[in-house]
Amino acid sequence: MGESQASPSDAGNQGVDAIVSGFERLGYITDRSLATAVYLVTKLHKPILVEGHAGLGKTEVAKVLASFLGTRLIRLQCYEGLDINSAVYEWNYQKQLLAIKIEEGSDKTVEEKERHIFSREFLLERPLLQSILVEDTSPVLLIDEIDRADEAFEAFLLELLSDYQITIPEMGTIHAKHLPYVVLTSNRSRDLGDALKRRCLYQWIDYPSLEKEMRIVRTRLPHIEEELARQVVGYVQAVRQLNLSKPPGVAETLDCAEALLTLGMPELDEEAIEQTLGCISKSVEDGAKIRTAGVERLLAG
Amino acid sequence: MLGSVEQSSGAARTIVEFCRFARERGLSAGVQETLDALNAAAALGVRNSDEMKYGLRSILCSSKDSWDRFEECFETFWRESAPKARSSRAKAPRKDLTSPVDERTPTSLMSTGSGDDVSSEKDGAQAITGASARDRLTQADLSTLSHSDLATLEQISLRLFNQMSRRLARRRRIATSRGQVDLRRTIHRAISRGGDPMNLRYRERKPRPHRLVTLLDISGSMSPYSLFLVQFLYALQKHFRRADTFLFSTGLVEITSLFRAQRLQDALRALSQQPAGWSGGTNIGGSLREFNHIHRRKLRSSDTLFVILSDGWDTGDPGVLAEELYAVKRRVRQLIWLNPLLGLKDYEPIASGMSAALPHVDVFAPAHNLDSLLALEKHL
Repeated sequence: MGESQASPSDAGNQGVDAIVSGFERLGYITDRSLATAVYLVTKLHKPILVEGHAGLGKTEVAKVLASFLGTRLIRLQCYEGLDINSAVYEWNYQKQLLAIKIEEGSDKTVEEKERHIFSREFLLERPLLQSILVEDTSPVLLIDEIDRADEAFEAFLLELLSDYQITIPEMGTIHAKHLPYVVLTSNRSRDLGDALKRRCLYQWIDYPSLEKEMRIVRTRLPHIEEELARQVVGYVQAVRQLNLSKPPGVAETLDCAEALLTLGMPELDEEAIEQTLGCISKSVEDGAKIRTAGVERLLAG
Repeated sequence: MLGSVEQSSGAARTIVEFCRFARERGLSAGVQETLDALNAAAALGVRNSDEMKYGLRSILCSSKDSWDRFEECFETFWRESAPKARSSRAKAPRKDLTSPVDERTPTSLMSTGSGDDVSSEKDGAQAITGASARDRLTQADLSTLSHSDLATLEQISLRLFNQMSRRLARRRRIATSRGQVDLRRTIHRAISRGGDPMNLRYRERKPRPHRLVTLLDISGSMSPYSLFLVQFLYALQKHFRRADTFLFSTGLVEITSLFRAQRLQDALRALSQQPAGWSGGTNIGGSLREFNHIHRRKLRSSDTLFVILSDGWDTGDPGVLAEELYAVKRRVRQLIWLNPLLGLKDYEPIASGMSAALPHVDVFAPAHNLDSLLALEKHL
C-alpha cells in the first residue's frame, strides 16, 4: 500500500480492472464486486470465503486466480471425517520401518536413527503443508467445501490461517516462506464458526443476470449462434423461477448449450428441451415440474 | 459520494465512522475489521464509491444474511451523513443507537426475560415425589395436568431427559471396537527395539453420533405440549454431534443457535421472545417446503434422524405435505413423527394431513406423556 501513495485511487481502480480483464481472458466472466474482493485478497493477504449456490463457479475463482497470478494451485477437498493425516501431513510408515531395518547393523545411536526417520525424507506432505512449504512464490490454496469438514478441523484451520505455520512434534514448527492466497468455498450445509468467518473476506455469488450469463456462454462456447445462446439462457433463467429442489446453475446452462451444439440442433424447441432435460434437471420431480410448466412459458420467459 | 473527501485523514475517519455505524446495525465490524477496512481503502483508493462499497462489503459481511443487509446500511450511512456533518463526528449515525439494533442477537433476547419461569422453579424445588406419584405424572397426558403437577413434572422430566442422554452417550462408547493400529505411536516405540513393532498401539475411531434435525409444531393445538417438547429437544440435542432445531406453525424459524449457546432457562426465555407464531395456525406442508428450500443440505441420508413433533392438524394442502415429506424422506436415514394425539385411546390418524404423511414416515409414535417421550430412546 505504501508504494501506491501517489494516487492510490488509480492504483486500486487499475488493480480491479486488471482482475476483471485478466479473469475474462482466462474465460471467467466476473463483476466488479467479486473482482474487488479478489483484489483485496492479493493486497491484504486475507483468506476469502466464497458462498453461493451450486454450479456458479465458486471453485473456479481459485483456479482462475492461480493462473492469473501465474502461481501454483493447491487444492484441499473437504469431506466429513477429514483429519490432520490427510489434510496436513503423515509419516511414511512403511518407509520408516524399512529404514529402521536397514540401519539395524549400523553403529548410529538411537537418537540419530530417530532423527533420520523423522526427517523430511519420510514426510508425506498433504495440501495444507504443501501450501506452507512452497519455496518460490505465494501459491493459491483452495479449501473446497469447508462446510463438509467437521468443527474440529475448522478449529485447526483457524490456527493455520492466523499464523501460517504448522507444528510437527517430531520436527518442530514450519513457517510459511510465502503466505498463500487462501480461497475457501462453502455450500452452506452448516453454519461456519464465527471466528473463521471473521478472519475471512466474504463474497456471495448469486445467479447471474441474463446479460452476464449470455457473456459467460459466449465466452465459454465461442461457436454458438447468438440466437441459440439467448434461447438457452432465457430458458434456464425461467427454470430457476420454478422452485425446483436443485435449481440449475451456470454449469448446467453450459452443459445444455453444449449438448445442443453436439446434437446439431439449430434452435431450442420442445423436442430439444426434452432431449437435454438431463442437463438441466437432476431429479425426476424437477423434470416433471419443468414439463408441466410448459415449453412456451419457459421459452417466452 | 466519496469523491468529496480529499484528505486521507478525513477519509479514514469516515471509514471508522461507517464501521461503527455498521456495528450498531448488527454487522460484525470489530477492531480488526475496521483496520482491514482502512487497509482496503488505502489499497482501493477512495474515489470510486462502487469499489469502496464492494470492498467494505467483503470485509464487514460474513454470511448471506449480512450480505443482504449491507446495501441498505451503506446507502443509509452516506445518505444521512452529508459531507459537512461527517467531519463533526457524524451526528446522524449516532441517533440510530436507539433504533432497532438487531432483534435476533442473543444478548437482547436474554436481557428481556419475563421472569415467569422463576416461580415454576421454586414450586418444583419443594415437590417431593413418591414412586406412585411419579408414575401417575409420567403417564398422564400432558394436556390434562394441573398447574402444580406441571411444575413437578418439569423437575422429573429434566432429570429423566438428562439420564436418557447420558445413557445414549454411554451406549455409543461401549459399542466402539478396538480400532485401528496407530502406526505413528507403534513406530515410536519400535525404534529402541530395532524396528520390530512388538507392542502395537491402537487408535480408536471417534464415535460418530447421528445428526438430528427436529421440527416442532408450536401451533395452537399443540400448545399444551409445547413447553415439554422444547425441554425434551433441549436435552436431546446436547448429545448429537450436530442437532438442528426448528419451530414451525405457519412459517419456519430456526432456533439451533439459541439452543446451543444458552442454559435451558435462558433458552426458554429467549424462545418466548421469538416471533415464531406461538399458538397460531398450522401449515406443515408449507413449513416443510421452506425447510427443503433453504435447509435441505443439512440432511444426509447416511446418518440424519429427522423428527417431526406435530399433531398433524394441517390447514395447508395435504398434497404439498406428502410431496415435501417424501423429499425429506429420501434424504434422511430415518423419519420419525411423534404425535401427542396418538396417546388418545380412540385416535385414528384420519386428519387429512396426517393420513397424507403416514406413508412416508418410518416411525410413528406417541408423544403425549413423559414415558412416551423417553421411549423414543430406542429409536435413536
